[in-house]
Amino acid sequence: MPNPLLTPELLRRLEQFQLLAARRAKSSARGERRSRARGQSVEFADHRNYVPGDDFRYLDWNLYGRLERLFLKLYEEERELPVRIFLDASESMSFGEPRKFDFARQIAAAVGYVALCGFDRVTVAAFPDNRNETAIRGALRTVRGRKSALNFFQNLTQLTATGAANLNEALRRGALEARQAGVAVVLSDFLDPAGYDAGLTALVARGFQVNAVQILAPEELSPSTFGDLRLVDAETGGLQEVTFGRYRMAAYQQTVQNFCQRLREFCQARGIHFFSVSSNTVLEHLLLKQLRQAEVWG
Amino acid sequence: MNFLAPTSLLFGLTIPVVVVFYLLKRKRVVKLVSSTLLWQKFISETQASAPFQKLRRNWLLILQIIMLILAVLALSRPYFATHAKSSQLRVLILDASASMQATDEMPSRFEKARKDALQWVDSLRDDDKMVVLQVAGTTEVRQSETGDKSALRRAIQSCQAIDSPTRLVPALKMAESLVRDRGKDSNSEIHLFSDGAVPDLKEFENKALPLIYHKVGQGANNLGITGLDVRANPEDATQRAIYVSVMNFSTNKMETELELSLDGKVVDARHLAINGGETSAQVFLASQTSDGVFTVHLTTQDDLAADNTASIVSLLPHPVKVLLVTRGNRFLERALRSTPNVELTTAPDLGNDGSTYDFVVLDNVIPTVWPIGNILAFHVMQTNWFDKVSQVDSPAIVDWKATHPLLRYVGFDNVPIGKSFAVKPPSWGVSLLDSPQDSLMVAGELGRQRIVWVGFDSLESYWPYRFSFPIFIQNAADWLNPANAKSSQLLVRAGDAFRLGLSQPEASAQITLPDGATRKLTLETNANEIVFGDTFHQGIYRLHVGTNDTTFCVDLLDADESNIKPREELVLGSYTKVAATKLQRTNMELWRSIAAIALLVLMIEWWYYHRRTA
Repeated sequence: MPNPLLTPELLRRLEQFQLLAARRAKSSARGERRSRARGQSVEFADHRNYVPGDDFRYLDWNLYGRLERLFLKLYEEERELPVRIFLDASESMSFGEPRKFDFARQIAAAVGYVALCGFDRVTVAAFPDNRNETAIRGALRTVRGRKSALNFFQNLTQLTATGAANLNEALRRGALEARQAGVAVVLSDFLDPAGYDAGLTALVARGFQVNAVQILAPEELSPSTFGDLRLVDAETGGLQEVTFGRYRMAAYQQTVQNFCQRLREFCQARGIHFFSVSSNTVLEHLLLKQLRQAEVWG
Repeated sequence: MNFLAPTSLLFGLTIPVVVVFYLLKRKRVVKLVSSTLLWQKFISETQASAPFQKLRRNWLLILQIIMLILAVLALSRPYFATHAKSSQLRVLILDASASMQATDEMPSRFEKARKDALQWVDSLRDDDKMVVLQVAGTTEVRQSETGDKSALRRAIQSCQAIDSPTRLVPALKMAESLVRDRGKDSNSEIHLFSDGAVPDLKEFENKALPLIYHKVGQGANNLGITGLDVRANPEDATQRAIYVSVMNFSTNKMETELELSLDGKVVDARHLAINGGETSAQVFLASQTSDGVFTVHLTTQDDLAADNTASIVSLLPHPVKVLLVTRGNRFLERALRSTPNVELTTAPDLGNDGSTYDFVVLDNVIPTVWPIGNILAFHVMQTNWFDKVSQVDSPAIVDWKATHPLLRYVGFDNVPIGKSFAVKPPSWGVSLLDSPQDSLMVAGELGRQRIVWVGFDSLESYWPYRFSFPIFIQNAADWLNPANAKSSQLLVRAGDAFRLGLSQPEASAQITLPDGATRKLTLETNANEIVFGDTFHQGIYRLHVGTNDTTFCVDLLDADESNIKPREELVLGSYTKVAATKLQRTNMELWRSIAAIALLVLMIEWWYYHRRTA
């Protein structure tokens, strides 16, 4: 079955990647990630004194032969890495040519696919809430295993972008909901009048390794409509009158750059990987080059 | 408070235009965008967050700077001194004579001259002064020396063209005195706005007048009545002969109807076709039962209407009573008797004042009582008339004044004279016959008495044997006839004063003007003469004094004035000419033009602003 989000070629190349987590996995479920927990694996971790009741199978007989004392061999427990994708599905994401939301879904699909291939748990948190998509969003809440990838893609495809988002609220809620911190990927245009500081700070504070991808439409970067304009905000319905001509293009672009730069500096200060892309960026370039160079995966 | 350029207040009409610009509601295009967040930041950032920013190349800025420079230039009121010499005083002479009513310039030459003159007022610098003179039959100072442009404009606006011929000499003399008072280094100028139809200006030949002649007028399409006279028909004393001269001043043949009317009723009409530059002399014969006014009228539509109509008062002839005081002179007596309409009485002496006669002829006789009426005197010594009388023997005749009415058709060729008195011409008369020593014949008016004085006895010359003698006697009878003198008084050239002697003092008089308006004249207690100077428009005037009514006519009858061809140059004597200036209005002040350009730049800026935001 053809996948509308990612091409087979891209999927095949993504299979080679694995999300790189700077911290050890704290999930309670078994997986393929190293963790601080002791358990059953082939990786030796430590010895400890035998206490009655321990399993004799883990006694280190070689050590008993040298020291005539009973020690038990301990192994590292391999656990899964929770990957939480915050997908901005607000009305503002439905703009652009190509649409920002389509581009965001492709990134979400790619991140999710890499995580599924690594036996990690993927959670897609689309915001704002949409009652019409409760089932789809529920199915995307926990996805495990590579075999779930197809359903995962289909569910992503059926998501729609509508309503007004509250980025801070969505991120804060996601941080609180997560039982274990993991990798967080925030896909949004970050054009929330309330800002983004509180949400991103909450994720970092919860222990997430946060990757923020800002997606802007080409029209937002370089508007092509001039004259005396009355602009209507698609989300808030707010009005803004502006007289815009080619002579003010440079000033506008400087404003956009300033906005992006402030966001970038905010992220860097908190150890967040930050990427700002246009929705017409070549997807492969972002996934295979930029994210890899930033060691989001490798 | 006064304004130097009150017409500039019309610029105030642009204020509503500016208001309209602001009333215009900008039509904004509604556009749905993903978020207005970036736009809000853009607007807040582009608003003045810092007192200064880096200067960028901005066409709006450049246009506004250009506009500001222009406005500053306009406020500084720059001027060029290229055409006009720096001048401290300009004497502006506006010709308001009859020829300036010609309509070859629209609406008339006078209005064109007035417009040009007003433009020269505009070109005055702040420290310049101007005097406005209006010249026609008389010279009027419309505005004395001032730099107040509004006063100068008012003065020029108040000038009116009249039917009078141009008498430029007094105006130029006045202008010359004004200019001379300023000194040689003042660069003063006399600006004459005229068509150049002016009489001889010979006396200014060597004055080096700073005269600038602004020629007004283009064409010369005019037929004019240049002569009008009425006399008894020589062949039929019951009829009147009206002599009319019509001249074509254009270069083309012109046709017209010439109508003659008596007291408003047309009595005759003729079709005339006159070649360019030629004169047609017409004689009408008409019966007349009482005193009346003959009016001739040209029906053609030419450029100057003022000379298409002329009127003359015609008084019925009465017998002329003449007293000849002589010791015997058959030639003189026969000559007088052959004069038509003369009742001659002869006497050896004059015992009374001769008031019962129309005029008295004194032939080599000194009367006991000098007559109070008109006198023709031959070889009579009257010391009250002359300062010094000398006796000359066999005087040679070197010149005579053939243009005087007394010497019409009279010549003195081959007229030897035995002996004669000779006098210096007195102030009251002109010399008609000149010898190398002094004058032998004088004619003039002393008080209200006409005198013809001949210094020699006719019998001591060969004059009675010549044809010219009876002709002279007849001319003298005409000239001395009080009725003819009165007739000539009743024909006044426009601009000249009308004079009428009063037989008894009157307190007031009333004059009805040609347009029907009446004017009341208050006379002085002992006035024995009425002088009325407001004869600026041609036509028939009616004077009512006491119980008497007198009609007199004001006519142009001036060939110089009817010749409306604008002169390219004014001739001052034999060697000096003033060519018409080619200078246009100097337009020294440029601020109006600059302000207009600034307004244009403002419009361009407005257009550009909207274009680039479109």
